[in-house]
Amino acid sequence: MPSTTSLRAFQPVFRPLHISSFRPQNTFLRTPQPFLRKPTASSIAAFTSPFSSTARLLRRKKGGKGGSDSRIVAIRYHLNHPLTPRPLRFSRSRFLRHWTIHRAWMLFLRKRRWAEERELERQYMSMRDACETLRLLDESGNKVSEAEAGGQGVEIGKLGPRGKEVGRLYRAAMNKTGVWDSVPIEYARVQVDFPSRDGWNHEWTRA
Amino acid sequence: MASVNPSIRTCLRCVKQTANANASLSVSGARFLSTTAPVSQEAAAQTQENPFEKWGPLDPALVDNKRDERRLIRKEGVMPIGSRRRRAALRTSAQIPFEQLPYQAFQEARKILLEDRQEKIKQIETQKLRLANLLKQDPAVSGGEEAKEVRVKSMQDHIRELIILADINDPIVKKKFEDGEGDMEKPIYRYLADKKWRQYKKLILDQRIEQFHIVPDLLPSLDPVADVDLAFGRRKINPGEFVDSCISESMPRLKVQVFDKGEKLVTVVVVDADVPVPEKDSFTTRCQFIASNIPISPTQTFIPLNRLDPKPKGSEEAAPKHIALPWLAPWAHKGAPYRRLAVFVLEQNGANALDIAALEKTKREHFNLRGFIHKQKLKPIGVTLFRTQWDENMAGVMQRAGLADQVKIEFKQKKIDPLPYKRRTERMR
Repeated sequence: MPSTTSLRAFQPVFRPLHISSFRPQNTFLRTPQPFLRKPTASSIAAFTSPFSSTARLLRRKKGGKGGSDSRIVAIRYHLNHPLTPRPLRFSRSRFLRHWTIHRAWMLFLRKRRWAEERELERQYMSMRDACETLRLLDESGNKVSEAEAGGQGVEIGKLGPRGKEVGRLYRAAMNKTGVWDSVPIEYARVQVDFPSRDGWNHEWTRA
Repeated sequence: MASVNPSIRTCLRCVKQTANANASLSVSGARFLSTTAPVSQEAAAQTQENPFEKWGPLDPALVDNKRDERRLIRKEGVMPIGSRRRRAALRTSAQIPFEQLPYQAFQEARKILLEDRQEKIKQIETQKLRLANLLKQDPAVSGGEEAKEVRVKSMQDHIRELIILADINDPIVKKKFEDGEGDMEKPIYRYLADKKWRQYKKLILDQRIEQFHIVPDLLPSLDPVADVDLAFGRRKINPGEFVDSCISESMPRLKVQVFDKGEKLVTVVVVDADVPVPEKDSFTTRCQFIASNIPISPTQTFIPLNRLDPKPKGSEEAAPKHIALPWLAPWAHKGAPYRRLAVFVLEQNGANALDIAALEKTKREHFNLRGFIHKQKLKPIGVTLFRTQWDENMAGVMQRAGLADQVKIEFKQKKIDPLPYKRRTERMR
């Protein structure tokens, strides 16, 4: 159910004529009617309601409030509101403006997406370069040649001719052994309440 | 060409402008019939006072009250333009050009688009410089002759793409194209027209080519790249439509819209694909028309076949410049199936003019389009087709075409006896 402000459109504006025909005729005759010069019998019979029959006027005349029954409004809403929104219908100039803005927005999004992709690419390349540097690093902090370095990727366990002293940090970072030694392993995932430690308690009843 | 036809809006504007022109005319003396004042009244009005001094000039596009309208109609003989509501709106609105309309989002959007356009222009300049450098480069450095050619081609394609991208977001370009005012010399309008053609007309044309078996009956394959509109006089013919024989008796006119740059020479060939051969119980082809060396370009699209070779009044013997085989009115026998008449637009090789005198010797009967194309080194760029069949005017058309002996011929379905076991009497037995 949408907010009440948008439901204003479904509140009754035009009241059907037969509703006001329940009103006794003499009250109608008592009110002055400047636009009806000669209220003949036939015209009275035809105009059993005042000329303007908007709900607001009628309410003002009655002095009480009515017509804004939320239940009626809800029923009207669900009966009348269309399932699809009204299609956009623009004049030529406005359509061209709309199109211009749309194209500019698409261009903006495209450029932003492109920039984001480049940024991710830059970060990835930067990490890759750092790992490569670690792989080729020996214990004294010097860069070794590719022939002396150990394996990478699936061959991560393969050591080079100089053994463990080359690329120690690289292997540590890639193997990830002992990373969680001093920290509980639970911290590796986000701690949430579910599932419970004890499993499902089937015996539980409400007090 | 319908793809770049002006929309109704432009037509309306044209009408309005002519109305304006009329207005200026009428002020200078000529008047509309319905609003002409009698001569005596006119003279009296002139002696009394000039009516325009009293209320100033009235613009038929902007008058918005009843009195001014009446004045305009009665005194100046000009009908106001458009509805009163429209005129009032025009009068009260400031006449701001479209680019300067004061809407914030719109102006911000324009800024972004202009910035992008400047970027694209800069990229085009860089690419052109790179291309020039590449062309100067020794092929050995760029990895051989072939690799260099490929690179040059891809760079040219990229530049072409950038040129399109620089203008594709311009609302004025879009508006002009929709109004049919686009200059087809410019690549962006050619691109838009091509896209529009491919979205609807080309699809229909492809379908007609397939369902009427133009491929493979006449050509082994066909990929039209030009939009061809066929019309007999003022009657436009959609691809594959039946054309009344008295309409198709005269030559059609073609509108060939090509979407690539430059002028080229084309040959127009009309082929009848269904000429019955009763002796062999089959069909053959006939050439109805050949015209060669017709120049077309993106802006020069109109090919009026009937005005290709205007006959000079004095000398009847002037050699034809374009038409090799004159138009033969298409005909169909009574009872025979419809005839497919395909109109091919064939691009000539490298703007070489064909020899018309040699083409005149082409035989009409059993015309082989494949052989013709191969021999003359042509390339099919556009095609359209229409159909013809026996109708009430066909007898007259055939008599005028000198085929009076053919008029009485009527084709009938050969009756095949059903196989014995399918005979009703056999089954009943």
